[in-house]
Amino acid sequence: MIKTLLMIFALALAVPAYAVDGSTLLEQVDRNLNPESYEAYRKLINIEPNGNRKEFVLFTVKKGKDKMAAVFILPASEKGRSTLRLDENMWLYIPNVGKPIRITSFQSVVGGVFNNADILRLDYTSEYNVDQVEENDDEYLLHLKAKTNTVAYDKLKMWVNKNNMLPSKIESLTEDLMLIKTLYFKEIKDFGDGIVRPSVVETDSPLYKDYKSIMIFAKIKEKELDDEVFTLTFMPNMESLR
Amino acid sequence: MKLFILSILTIVLLPQLTFAESEYTLDLDEIEKKPHSFGGYLEVRPVLLGFDKDAAFYKLKLYNKDEGKTGEEYNAKLQLNASYEKGIAKFYTKINVDMQQSYLGWSDKTSVFEGYLSLKPSSSFIINAGKKTMKWGKGYAWTPAAFVDRIKNPDDPNLALEGFISLSADYIKSYSGPLKTISFTPVLLPVYDDVNDDFGETDHVNFAGKLYLLLYDTDIDFMVLAGGSKTTRFGFDFSRNITSNFEIHGEFAFINNFEKKFINNTGDIFIKEYDAKSYLLGIRYLTELDTTFIVEYYHSGTGFTNGEMEDYFSFINTAYETYTSLGNDSDLQKALNLTEGNYGRINPMKDYLYARVSQKEPFNILHFTSSLTGIFNVNDKSFSLSPEVLYTGITNLELRLKTSFLVGESNSEYGEKQNDYRVEFRTRYYF
Repeated sequence: MIKTLLMIFALALAVPAYAVDGSTLLEQVDRNLNPESYEAYRKLINIEPNGNRKEFVLFTVKKGKDKMAAVFILPASEKGRSTLRLDENMWLYIPNVGKPIRITSFQSVVGGVFNNADILRLDYTSEYNVDQVEENDDEYLLHLKAKTNTVAYDKLKMWVNKNNMLPSKIESLTEDLMLIKTLYFKEIKDFGDGIVRPSVVETDSPLYKDYKSIMIFAKIKEKELDDEVFTLTFMPNMESLR
Repeated sequence: MKLFILSILTIVLLPQLTFAESEYTLDLDEIEKKPHSFGGYLEVRPVLLGFDKDAAFYKLKLYNKDEGKTGEEYNAKLQLNASYEKGIAKFYTKINVDMQQSYLGWSDKTSVFEGYLSLKPSSSFIINAGKKTMKWGKGYAWTPAAFVDRIKNPDDPNLALEGFISLSADYIKSYSGPLKTISFTPVLLPVYDDVNDDFGETDHVNFAGKLYLLLYDTDIDFMVLAGGSKTTRFGFDFSRNITSNFEIHGEFAFINNFEKKFINNTGDIFIKEYDAKSYLLGIRYLTELDTTFIVEYYHSGTGFTNGEMEDYFSFINTAYETYTSLGNDSDLQKALNLTEGNYGRINPMKDYLYARVSQKEPFNILHFTSSLTGIFNVNDKSFSLSPEVLYTGITNLELRLKTSFLVGESNSEYGEKQNDYRVEFRTRYYF
């Protein structure tokens, strides 16, 4: 009996020494990337194989686990367009057309490699479970699996730097592990109020050969926002939040 | 020596570091918010029209003109948006200037499409006073339940429309659970001489309202319009994603005591009063190859039957014969008076099918979107077919080449249009 108890005790001690709690790691990554509720500006640059660039500037707000919205500031042809995401529901509001129309996560309101799910990104913990964690001296490698089949990518491989607990690279994969795109997190910057995170995210994709899309972050700050901001009725007024 | 190596390293590496940091920048000037904003677009749109001289609408509208087989139009449009924001208040205006030189001569029109003051004391309560477009309904080509909007053109549903002068408010409330959002939009719409006098009967203050729910991931609206300028009407619409790339939507409108004015083939005018029911069902489907399908079926309870349209066309043909033989155009004038807002409205019959297929960057041709749109009149089997190509490769510049072919037997809607085809090239520059 004593031997059995000792065995159980030894096993209980041994497990924490090797297992890393993937969910806690992922939550940490989420919070290091941005506060749970925040506002930020982003520039999206689509670079074509011939070097041509198309640029878009957006103001984005996020609240909690499932609410995200963005309004285009530049260029003039896109100004005033806003997008809203409530969980897996997404809408696009075009001022001339008027009423918001439903859009999908895998199409892109700006073209290029970033799709709507990338632009209106929620916390990773709200969409993914951690299946497995690998680690070496410098990094964790998190294997993430989508919680539902409505999430844009079935699986993610996320490399997380152990020093700052920020992602350095994310591969987006299909259920069959086919690579859809890779995100590279670069140029860590102090945005103030304890927000230190990559200011540039680059992406490329084997499906868009020789294309590249860049997302640059600026003025990320924590912000208290009403739930009512994240509604269809409020979409035409999104720019008033700036 | 160490200092020398450090200096060399600094000289060699510093420019590279600087370059790395400045490769992608977000200039803070770009995102600075100013209290005022100004923008819009300038558009030039030449059009070539192929006339159908045997068509009823050609005889009706151009009976006293001697046009050739084709006609030309040179259209220009300037749309200006401006806003000024201070505290909880924002003033917004959209001014539209249309100019046209065509086979009919020169015409121009400047309209204030929108001009309203918006007060936003909180995120859940917004008041708007002035001229504003409400944009109700979920249909893409038709919106039968958009009771306080002008009728949009299914041939170009994304065009901005002129609003009506109104006082409205938005009250929004969010919840957690299956009912995520509820919002209520009451609207007061006065109709007097010189104020919204094209909305309906004058000397009434109309009340309209819309209740919006996001319930079980479905957008649902209930609408009402009452007050006397038009007969009382109720509406309902919904939109929902079945899968992430497959959306369904629908609209229903009930119009109490609708008065239909129609003419028989000898020119007698009748008025029939009944409760009209209109509805629309539609889907939007996006494939992994970026092909978008939009399909809508529309039943208009206020529309004309085959027989009523045939009588109308028959009356025009008789009136035209009278004009050509006797020079008397009074019957044509009578038909013209009955055409405006009635037989001449966009898609005046009962049942329609709209189908649009658009392909982004076909054959990997960058920045091009090709589309094919068909509007089919289910009742008389006539249709319009419009292929188009859109180019958006240059920032703020949009080029669109669009052709439309109108096909139908005699006495059918598209068969009796004044054109057999039209070709237009639109250049639009945003600023």
